[in-house]
Amino acid sequence: MNIHTYEKTWLAVSMVLIVGFIATVTYGAVGPGIAMIDDDGGSIDPDTINDDERFNDPGVTHVGENEYEAAVVAQAWTYTPSEITVPANSTVTFYVTSRDVTHSFTVAGTNVNTMVVPGQISEMTVEFDEPGEYGILCNEYCGAYHHTMEGKLNVVPQDEFDLTELSTDASDEAQLGNQTTINTTVSNDMNYDLETTATLEIGDQQSLEQDVTVPAHGSETVEFAVDTTDLGTGDHDWTVTVDGHEESDTLTVTNATEGGDGDA
Amino acid sequence: MAMRNAYIDQFPKEARVIRAILWSSFLALTIGGTLGLIQGLHRTNVLRFIPSQDYYTVLTAHGVLLVITFTIFFLVGIFTWAVTTSLDRGVKDIRFTWGWYAIMMIGTLLVGVSILGGVVDQIPMNADVLYTFYSPFQAHPAFYVGFVLFVVGTWLAGFDWFRTWWAWKKDNPDERIPLPTFMALTTMLFWYLSSIGVAISILAFLLPWSLGIIDSVNPLLTRTLFWFFGHPVVYFWLMPAYMLWYTMLPKLSGGKLFSDPLARVVFVLFLILSTPVGIHHQYLDPGIAEGFKFIAMTNTMFLLLPSLLTAFTVVASMEHGARQRGGKGYLSWLKALPWRDPAFTGMALAGLMFAAGGFSGMINAGLSINYLVHNSWWVVGHFHLTVGTAAALTFMAASYWFIPQLTGKEIWNRSLGLVQVVLWFIGMTFMSNAMHRAGLFGMPRRTAEPQYQGFDFEPAVGTVAEIDAQVALGAALLTLSVYLFITNMVLTTIGGSTSDAIPDNTYAGTLSGPEDAPVIIDNLKLWTSIAVVLVIIAYSLPLASIIDAGGLFGPGIDPWKPSVVADPSLVLESVRGVMP
Amino acid sequence: MSSAIEKGVDGKHPTNETDQVRELDHDEYDPIGTAILVGIYFLILVALWIFMYFVEFLGNGPTVTGVLLTVVGLA
Ligand code: HEM
Ligand SMILES: [Cu+2]
Ligand SMILES: [Cu+2]
Repeated sequence: MNIHTYEKTWLAVSMVLIVGFIATVTYGAVGPGIAMIDDDGGSIDPDTINDDERFNDPGVTHVGENEYEAAVVAQAWTYTPSEITVPANSTVTFYVTSRDVTHSFTVAGTNVNTMVVPGQISEMTVEFDEPGEYGILCNEYCGAYHHTMEGKLNVVPQDEFDLTELSTDASDEAQLGNQTTINTTVSNDMNYDLETTATLEIGDQQSLEQDVTVPAHGSETVEFAVDTTDLGTGDHDWTVTVDGHEESDTLTVTNATEGGDGDA
Repeated sequence: MAMRNAYIDQFPKEARVIRAILWSSFLALTIGGTLGLIQGLHRTNVLRFIPSQDYYTVLTAHGVLLVITFTIFFLVGIFTWAVTTSLDRGVKDIRFTWGWYAIMMIGTLLVGVSILGGVVDQIPMNADVLYTFYSPFQAHPAFYVGFVLFVVGTWLAGFDWFRTWWAWKKDNPDERIPLPTFMALTTMLFWYLSSIGVAISILAFLLPWSLGIIDSVNPLLTRTLFWFFGHPVVYFWLMPAYMLWYTMLPKLSGGKLFSDPLARVVFVLFLILSTPVGIHHQYLDPGIAEGFKFIAMTNTMFLLLPSLLTAFTVVASMEHGARQRGGKGYLSWLKALPWRDPAFTGMALAGLMFAAGGFSGMINAGLSINYLVHNSWWVVGHFHLTVGTAAALTFMAASYWFIPQLTGKEIWNRSLGLVQVVLWFIGMTFMSNAMHRAGLFGMPRRTAEPQYQGFDFEPAVGTVAEIDAQVALGAALLTLSVYLFITNMVLTTIGGSTSDAIPDNTYAGTLSGPEDAPVIIDNLKLWTSIAVVLVIIAYSLPLASIIDAGGLFGPGIDPWKPSVVADPSLVLESVRGVMP
Repeated sequence: MSSAIEKGVDGKHPTNETDQVRELDHDEYDPIGTAILVGIYFLILVALWIFMYFVEFLGNGPTVTGVLLTVVGLA
């Protein structure tokens, strides 16, 4: 074959280029430790998502010192949860799956980006060093309202972060002289026990306090007994505060004779 | 006047078929280009006159009409020219040629009507599935049937060329395969190999599923089978352009092809390497091990080699022309090239844009960097440079040479042709550059309204508004360019006058001819076997593990018919319904 | 450049063989201009690759990382 010297040189230069590209990508894996989405997440039958331990209550869980897991379910045209909050200086492993068609889970303006294929679980581990707010978007066509599919990722300073949630069970009304209770369930998704104090403020005078220990990945209910006699009839705003989280509502105390009518 | 010896004089029957084929192609380009303008204006919020839900019907049509209909019709037309011209013999039976063209047309119509059903209520069909038709989206069966018919038509076209070659070989047992025929045949071989993927995907899974014969599919499997075909198809678009760069551009430049043997090597490399790379479209897919992705990347990177070699050979052939035309100096020979000829200038500009598209393709090929660009507008910028310019502009430019060959008529207005190709270049510079930049800050592709409620994009340089403006301007110039092209072609065909001055139907001579190439290069069986082995190596394990994990027919995947659900608030209700 | 070269013999087609002012065969022709052009292209490719990988990509964190090096994990 009769190949010109210049062209032979170009062939050699081209090979250098190709090998250089492959070498760069290999460096990316070995140096900064970039890993590709792969089959580690495993597969799942989309019909069983609600029974799946990880996805039946999607969201963020604390799994190690600075390590978290975030389970996300994508479906036309939302993410559940649609807002994800994690602390800075943490390592978060995302598990994302789809209930219906193919979507993506893409954190705009970052390199966090994966396809979400029904039947598959995309697993990816990301280190978040700095606090910041990011948009999440779907970059794979997923039907007529694909362009409305978005979410939010908040990376907050570590001292502003916890995984405490409150839910309160209390009646709206009580008869004067009776006792009523305000029950607050404190859940803790960190993997250590939460030792804290729950406070109830009601009306102008009463302030009750209770110490509570919520086990890791568990919950605990705090029961506040409220004496309506001290409050008197009328509307009383109350607030339960645990670990910086608040729940509030109003208790109406009525006269025993007036029945259900709350007006004094 | 000397005897005219244009293609229409040599092969009048074939010229008729090729004319019909090219017209089908041009029609697809005109409609597709118009839809492109609608998209460009809609996304950027410059002008929105369709509801955003219909955007996806438009986008499906744009994708299918341009990268399937326009490009592949042009390919089968030009390959028919290449084979008959270079073997100097007509096809065996012209009825067969009309036959495969008719099959491709029927396929196109079925696909077209089912897509149209997405916006026309009277048509009870829907195929808003984009040209990738990922399951569990389910199109109307007519869409799948049409797609298969179209592909079968191309298979028969390939058979037509093969048997013309076999007949020629009987008469010329010791001759080398003429270069244009060699290119057409090697291209068809990898097309046969790779279209098996999409054929299995449709015939074994999607079509029976859309007919209700099976009730679930494995989305990752059909997706992988699509990309088994989906990367080679990009070379299928590109190979006719390469053939024109190798066999026409040197001649239009006034020179000869620098090296016939290297041109053959290049096509052999494409035959071998085009298929075992499709997984590079799935770098961010779950369910495929990283090792398989790495292998796909390695193959892809080596696939750069034939394109880089092409860059050298083609530019050297142009330089040869320029120097024969009196060009001098290190680079001032560039001025001696025939820049007033729209066929030359269009192809040369297409090649230049391909050099830029080649760069963004190198980025796309890089495994980890895909996190940055995957499914972003960067990718759309990339392929408008490759298929959307390297192929499309080359085809339009070549038409300024071919249409006179096929009709015996002069081009209606050659200067307008020059304006047209330059306009394309300018329009595409705006549009694709802005798309690339938008991709880098995360703007997604395939999205009717990439404006979000909860956040804004933050370009490092420039603004979103400025990028949108460039896209809209570029799209307008491009569409204008398409209209100038089609006007010129129509007026040439219906208004133009028959001329005796049409140049002879010839292609470029060579500086280093086939006699310099080892005979083994023409051994198509050998290269095909190697290609098959590489495909088996690259695909058998990934396919096995996908089937192993998700089952041949998937884990209970329900079909999703695109526009059944019309209102997102209804869907949000149903979301609340299913969430525990 | 004469207009004959620009326009070709019939004044319409750049039928290029006729524009030829000399004949160059394989041995007389060194594509030095091509070598320069592809050389420039090579430099652009290398520079842009480095920019894209190390600035645009690695500078665009957070990025997906892994503890295990599975790049050659096929083995
Ligand atoms: C008038 C010229 C053209 C204009 C204005 C145009 C415009 C566009 C725009 C704005 C998009 C982006 C849609 C999105 O991501 O949401 C797009 C997508 C696309 N264009 Fe073009 N385009 C033109 C010509 C072409 C040509 C000539 C080809 C190929 C031969 C082509 C192939 C494609 C493909 C394959 C897509 C992607 C479809 C998909 O994502 O499913 N376009 N075009
Ligand atoms: Cu989507
Ligand atoms: Cu590809």
